[in-house]
Amino acid sequence: MEQPKNKIRSFIVENFLFGEENDLTDDTSFLNEGIIDSTGVLELIEFLEEEFEIEIDDDDMIPENLDSLNNLDKFLKKIIITS
Amino acid sequence: MTTDQVNIPEKICDNCILPGTFPGIAFNDQGTCNYCQKEAVSSNKINPAEKKNQYRLRLDALIENTKGSAPVYDMIIAYSGGKDSSYTLKLLKERYNLRMVALTFDNHFVSSTAFENIKKVTDSLEIDSITFKPSWRSIKEMFALTAKKDIFSRQTLLRASSICTACICLVKSMVLKTALEMSIPLVGFGWSPGQAPIQSAILKTNPSFSLSTQNVLKNAFPPELIDELHQYFIPDDYFNSFKDSFPHNIHPLAFYDYDEDRIKKELNELGWLAPEDTDTNSSNCLINAYANNCHISRHGFHPYVWEIANMVRQGLISRDLGLIKIYSKQNKTMINYAKRRLTNGAT
Repeated sequence: MEQPKNKIRSFIVENFLFGEENDLTDDTSFLNEGIIDSTGVLELIEFLEEEFEIEIDDDDMIPENLDSLNNLDKFLKKIIITS
Repeated sequence: MTTDQVNIPEKICDNCILPGTFPGIAFNDQGTCNYCQKEAVSSNKINPAEKKNQYRLRLDALIENTKGSAPVYDMIIAYSGGKDSSYTLKLLKERYNLRMVALTFDNHFVSSTAFENIKKVTDSLEIDSITFKPSWRSIKEMFALTAKKDIFSRQTLLRASSICTACICLVKSMVLKTALEMSIPLVGFGWSPGQAPIQSAILKTNPSFSLSTQNVLKNAFPPELIDELHQYFIPDDYFNSFKDSFPHNIHPLAFYDYDEDRIKKELNELGWLAPEDTDTNSSNCLINAYANNCHISRHGFHPYVWEIANMVRQGLISRDLGLIKIYSKQNKTMINYAKRRLTNGAT
């Protein structure tokens, strides 16, 4: 089964990097590197909610949870365990 | 105007209006773009009408819990005087009878008709109104720079020109700053249903996230320009001192019925008139044609095409109207007017 982090990576590469993986590492900051802007974050959230059947609270929409592949991976694990 | 009179590119999506020059676009054998195909899959999973209804109920609940709790105003609205923000004002006032204040950011390129519209609409709806006008020098330098150069991320420039993004970034900051300072719990915007995704239509602003996005935007400007513009951004200490009172952002046109003709008709009843000196995608701004032209020259696609394609895909405007809005030639007189003012420095 495909790992969540890989699914998110594929989504980001396809939707925000136009298929070019460039220098995207697990710790690359999406906001600082201009990969995702404030509107893009919402598209990412929609993807996460649909793909992993979760609900993300407004209070959880912080860079510490969403701003890199590693942050997202940790956040997803936490949210899936607690739900 | 008809579609025979516009310059439609050779390759565009047969379903929406995205051109072959749009980043990341690919077409299937039927001539439908990958963005339309993705939207079709998403609509199959969640019924768009049902989703809109859920958002209407969420707004009802939020307003029930919020209305009357703030010292003076329930909501501040970013008000350009254009069609969409005027209608947002009308919709929210009539549906919820909120205590509202409208904030207009005068970027020195607001059409005089738009100012008349602001007066007529706010007077008619009995809404207080504030106009904030930054100095010409700061605005001129910001527009002159963004006319020449793209300083924002590639992702941002898919949806708006550099000039527009810079201006909106100040509008959003000023509105949020005012909301925090006046303890206003709700912030309204008149984004069209194609402009911003529905999932952002009711969203509590998060201090930490807002600070990060503001820093990214500030870092995009050269330091000497930030010295000119810094007072229009939210001071860093606000993100902590006001952390418990960050407002909800709301853009209701994402989930209320949107019909341009009906909206104009309803606004006409308040005295609102469509300006004749703006481009096909704006009903308030006189720099937009120049902004569009700069973007098209640099990127090969219109900065509004993403928004208008979304609206065509959602069936909110006809494909023909979308083609006219996007592929009409930019008005040379308007381009030269903005260019001249930025070059000569005339206020």
